[in-house]
Amino acid sequence: MFLSPALILFALYFVYPLGFVFATSTLDWNGISNARFVGLRNYLDNFQSRTFQISIRNNFIWVASLGFVQISLAALVAMILARQPRGWRFFRTVYFLPNVISQVAIAMMWAALYNAEYGAINQFLELLGLEHLTHNWLGEIGTALPSILIQQVFYIGYFMIIILASIMSIPESYYSAAQIDGANVLQQEIHITLPMIRPILVTAMTLAMAYGLRHFEATFLLTNGGPAHRTSVLGIQLYKMFSALDYGHANAIGGTLVIIGLVLIAVIRSTLGRHADASDMTQ
Amino acid sequence: MRRIISTLIVVALALVMTTPLMATAPQEEGEIVLNFPTFWVGQDSKAEPIADLVESFNAEHASEIRVVIEANPDTDGYRDKINTQMAAGQAPDIFVFAPDPTTFQYYDSDILMDFTEELQGSWRNDFVPGYIEESTKNGRTKSVPYEIGLTPIWYNSELFAQAGVDEFPATIEEFQDAADALKAAGIVPTSQMTGGSNAWTSMLWYSHIVGSLGGPDVWSKPLSDPLFVEAAEVLLRMYQDGNTTRDAVGGDAGVSGGHYMAGNTAMFINGPWYIGRIRGDAPETYAATRLAPAPQVGDYYGHQLGFMLSNLAAANTDDERKRDAVITFMQYMTDPDNVKLVSEAAGSLFAIKYELGADADPLQREFVRAASEATFVIGLFSSRYPVDVVAEFGQALAAMALGEATPAEFVEMLIEVNN
Repeated sequence: MFLSPALILFALYFVYPLGFVFATSTLDWNGISNARFVGLRNYLDNFQSRTFQISIRNNFIWVASLGFVQISLAALVAMILARQPRGWRFFRTVYFLPNVISQVAIAMMWAALYNAEYGAINQFLELLGLEHLTHNWLGEIGTALPSILIQQVFYIGYFMIIILASIMSIPESYYSAAQIDGANVLQQEIHITLPMIRPILVTAMTLAMAYGLRHFEATFLLTNGGPAHRTSVLGIQLYKMFSALDYGHANAIGGTLVIIGLVLIAVIRSTLGRHADASDMTQ
Repeated sequence: MRRIISTLIVVALALVMTTPLMATAPQEEGEIVLNFPTFWVGQDSKAEPIADLVESFNAEHASEIRVVIEANPDTDGYRDKINTQMAAGQAPDIFVFAPDPTTFQYYDSDILMDFTEELQGSWRNDFVPGYIEESTKNGRTKSVPYEIGLTPIWYNSELFAQAGVDEFPATIEEFQDAADALKAAGIVPTSQMTGGSNAWTSMLWYSHIVGSLGGPDVWSKPLSDPLFVEAAEVLLRMYQDGNTTRDAVGGDAGVSGGHYMAGNTAMFINGPWYIGRIRGDAPETYAATRLAPAPQVGDYYGHQLGFMLSNLAAANTDDERKRDAVITFMQYMTDPDNVKLVSEAAGSLFAIKYELGADADPLQREFVRAASEATFVIGLFSSRYPVDVVAEFGQALAAMALGEATPAEFVEMLIEVNN
C-alpha cells in the first residue's frame, strides 16, 4: 500500500512514456492525423540512413570520451586534491563551478572562443605566429567534433567531487602503513586508492556513458549537428525528426537509444561492475 | 490512517486528471483570459509595440477579456513548444503560426479555430488580396494572415563606394567583378551561413538564384530539374575565393548578420523585421544600407522573395464566449491602424492594407518600393519544402562548401530527404 504512490508515479512518468515511445515507433504518424502501423519499417529506414549511421558512431565516440577520458581526468584531479595541496579547496570549487552554470551560457562562450574570425583561440595562435594552425574550429570536418568533445570532456567537476568524496573516505591508516612499507605516492595511488574507489569509478563511468548516449545540448548549440552532419548525434536526429512532425522515425530513434542504453549498462555491469563488486567484497 | 492516505491519493490523482477538463469547460460568466505565447518579446523589434497593443486591448476590454503574453524569446524553441502542444491536442489560446508545408498539417485536425466564416465578411477587406487564399487549405482558413516577409539583397553603399563600385550589379558577371573590387579593397563581399535551423542567409541567396533561373513558376519544378544544380554552382562560388567570411560554414544568423552590421561584409539578405535591430545596433551600416534585386543569373531579373512569415492562430473551442473573445482580439491585432503602429515601430511589413506615415523609416520605404518594383514575387525554399528538407539544406551546403559534395550531390542530398 505504501509503495503504491511511487508505483503509480513510476507507471505514469516512466512506464507509460516508454511504452508510448515504442508503440509510436512502429507508426507512420505526424502527431495530428491518423497513424498507420508500419512495423519495424521506421527502424530499418533509420539504420539505412547515412546521417543516422554517422550519428550513432558519434554517440559511441561520446560514450568512450566521457566514460574513459573524462572519468580518468576526474579521478586524476580528485587524487591530487585528496592529497590536500595548498589551495585545494579553491581548486575544488573552481573545477565544480561550470556545473552550476547554464549549458547554454557555456556553449555560447565556447562558440565565441572557437569563432574563426574573431575567436580568442585563433587570435592567440596568430599572436604566437602560428597562423597555419588556425581553423574554423566548428565549421571544418576534421575539427568540429573534437572541438565539441574537448569543451565537454574538460568539465570534470561533477565526477571529480563524487570521486574525491570517495577517496576522502579511505582510512588514513592504509596510506600510513604503505608509507612505512616504503611505498611512494604513485604506488599508494595505484595499489590503495584505485582499488578502493573502483565501485564509485564504475558508477561514474556508467553515468558518464549514459550522458554520452543522450548527449544533445552542446552539439545542438554549437553546430546543430553540422558541418555536413559530422557532429550529429542521435539526440539531434531525434529532435530534427520531431520538428518535422515525423514522430514515427523520431520515436524509433528514441527506442534505439533505450535499447543501446540497456545493452551498455548490462555490459558495464557484467564486466567492470562484476570486478568492482568483487573488490567490494575483498575490502 | 492508511484509508485516509489512500483516499487522499485518489482525490489528488482525480484532481490532476480532471484539471485539463475543467480548464477547457465553457466559461459562463466573468473575465475571459486568453494566453498568448509569443516570441515577439525581449530583443525582438516587435516586442514593444505588440506589448503596447495587448495592454490597450486589455484596457479597452477590462473585466471582459484579458490577453496574457507568455514570453518565449527563442523562435526554434517556440516552434517546438507549439509542436508539442499540438501533438498533445492542446493548442495555446492564441499563438503565432509559421505558415509552411510542415505546419499546415495542423489544418488536418480540429485543434485549430476555423476563421473561414468570419473572413468571408467585411474583415476580409482589411487584407492584401491573396494572403487569405494562401492561408486557406481545403476551403478552411485556420490561421489569420499577419506578418509578411520580403527579402531583397541588402548592400552597404559606403563599402561599395570604397571599392569603386557605383551601382549594385545587375548580372552575375557584374556581381563577380564587384566582388573582386570589394576584395581588392579588403572588404568581404557577402555574408553567408550554413548553420541555424535553415541556413537562412544562404538559403535566401539560393532562392533568389533559383528564381532568376526558373522564373515565377520555379517552385512548381521538381528538385531534379537541372536549374537547381546550376543555382548550387553559383551559390558555391559565393563560398569560394574569399567571397564570404571564414566562419560562414557553421555560422548562424548571428554570425551572418553580425558581419554585415559590423561593416565586415558588403552584402547580406534579410527581411524588414531586421530594420529595428540594425537601426539600433549599427546606425552607420543602417544609414549606408540600400536594397536591390538579386543579380541576374538566368533568364529572369528583378524578382523578389515574398512570403507569409507569421500568421495568428488559436485553439478551437466550443465555448462561444471564448471564441468571440479570440476573434475580437484577432480583429484588433489586424486593424489597419494597429498594424501601422507595429509596422512603423518595428520596420516589419504586414498582410494587412495600411499606409505608412510620413515619418516612416526610410529603409522600410525602400522595402515597399522594392516590392512594388518587383517583376514577380516567388516564395522561399523554406516556404516550399518541409522543415526536414530545409534543415538538410544547411548540412548539404556545408558539405558542398567544404568540398565533400559536388553541386549535383548537394541537390541529391535534398532530394533524398524530400522523398
